Amino acid sequence: MSSSVLQRIASGDSAAVRECIEQYGALIWSIARRLSRTPSDAEDATQEIFLDIWRSAARFDASQGSDKVFVAMIARRRLIDRLRKTSAEPPMDTMEALELVATGDQDTSSETSMEAEQATRALAELRPEQRQVLELGLLHGLSQSEIATRLNMPLGTVKSFMRRGLIKVRENMKIAAEGVSARI
Amino acid sequence: MPQTPPQGQPDEAMVDLLIKQVTQGLSSAEQRELDVLDTETASAYLRDFERAAAAVTLAAGTNGHVLPPQLAQRIARQADEHFAALAGGTARGASVARLDDARAARADVGTQPAAGAAPRASRSGMYGWVAAAACLVLAVIGWTHTPTAPELPPVADLPPTTVLPPVPPAPPAPPTPAEERAALLAKSDSVKVTLGVTKDPAARGVSGDVVWDPATQKGFVHFVGLASNDPAVKQYQVWIFDVARDQRYPIDGGVFDVPAEANEVVIPFDASLPVTKAAAFAVTVEKAGGVVVSARQHVVALGATS
Repeated sequence: MSSSVLQRIASGDSAAVRECIEQYGALIWSIARRLSRTPSDAEDATQEIFLDIWRSAARFDASQGSDKVFVAMIARRRLIDRLRKTSAEPPMDTMEALELVATGDQDTSSETSMEAEQATRALAELRPEQRQVLELGLLHGLSQSEIATRLNMPLGTVKSFMRRGLIKVRENMKIAAEGVSARI
Repeated sequence: MPQTPPQGQPDEAMVDLLIKQVTQGLSSAEQRELDVLDTETASAYLRDFERAAAAVTLAAGTNGHVLPPQLAQRIARQADEHFAALAGGTARGASVARLDDARAARADVGTQPAAGAAPRASRSGMYGWVAAAACLVLAVIGWTHTPTAPELPPVADLPPTTVLPPVPPAPPAPPTPAEERAALLAKSDSVKVTLGVTKDPAARGVSGDVVWDPATQKGFVHFVGLASNDPAVKQYQVWIFDVARDQRYPIDGGVFDVPAEANEVVIPFDASLPVTKAAAFAVTVEKAGGVVVSARQHVVALGATS
């Protein structure tokens, strides 16, 4: 079985570093853009995330999930930490931010992975309001109280929607993982 | 009486803390609160929730974002220094230094305003839009560096017979939004929607349309006669209705401005989330920076795809 790029980085394969940047650059940049207040924040965050990846690559365990999920988890941790330290306003893609976006000819939404498909299925089963709460929290970095304000929804309802939504995705992923284990 | 969860199962308070940690981070007090709870269970659930959140993030795709090349180069240099310094035992110092260098050099990464206008704002979602949207849709149906030349040796240093290498020609000017819109219109799979305008004061005497490219998830709004705005106070915001989503929750297409004395504007926009199939487009007036949820008090124009 061929090693993932993360495993190759961990084993000291210098060529894997460039591959990693190429393979995950768009993913990390897109997450950073969504969860940063300014384009310059997103740039700093992206550099920090890659440093985290270099440092954490040896901890990647393919049996625990795909490399994409591992990278996205590292990115989210770093970005949430940055947001928490500077919390005052929610992140927002501003005009300036869009101007920084280097866009390709196609939507490179090729971040497909088994986990992403499971998440998509779980999201499809949620009520629109639940899905929106989850998207605002996870994709756009709004806090629960910010979501409550913006959607004119009680904070308790936001918490409940967030809890149910994330549990639903988690359960879908667990069921799928168990199915894979059973087949193996 | 509150029920005690089974062994190895988190209680509601723990789940709430874990989800908050995954979505927005915990305060020091909340972290201390979590720390005294069942650590093993908390760790296992935290990992699961982080994976779930990461999976949702992946499911949203990259939406056309590409890592800016200059930033990719800086990251590659930073990686070189990191791994080289690791071998020398000073990785952290080297990496921090590289980050500082990068911050100083950030001006590289496309901070010039884009030609044309403005976009990008916040997020999706609008409760109660349906009624206004449906009426309007019905109305629409019945009615939207110069590159530096290679450094040359000083003339005095040149051997007499040396011919200076030719200076490469300047690259062609990038296309204007209007030219890009025209090119998109020429594509067979593009979607053009004529916008119907409302009675909003900003829309008086206005005509407009949207051209949308489903493949690239980008488009252009084109208006003639749209009132100018003060970007510090309010901005126009584009919304995309996706057939695959609840119509109450249109996707944000970003904000834009109309400069004073600009009778005609062509504004590029893109979708903040993947659009399966655009059903309609709308433009509203919102506070500066745009909104996640429109109060739908100032719908300027709306148009449905056929």
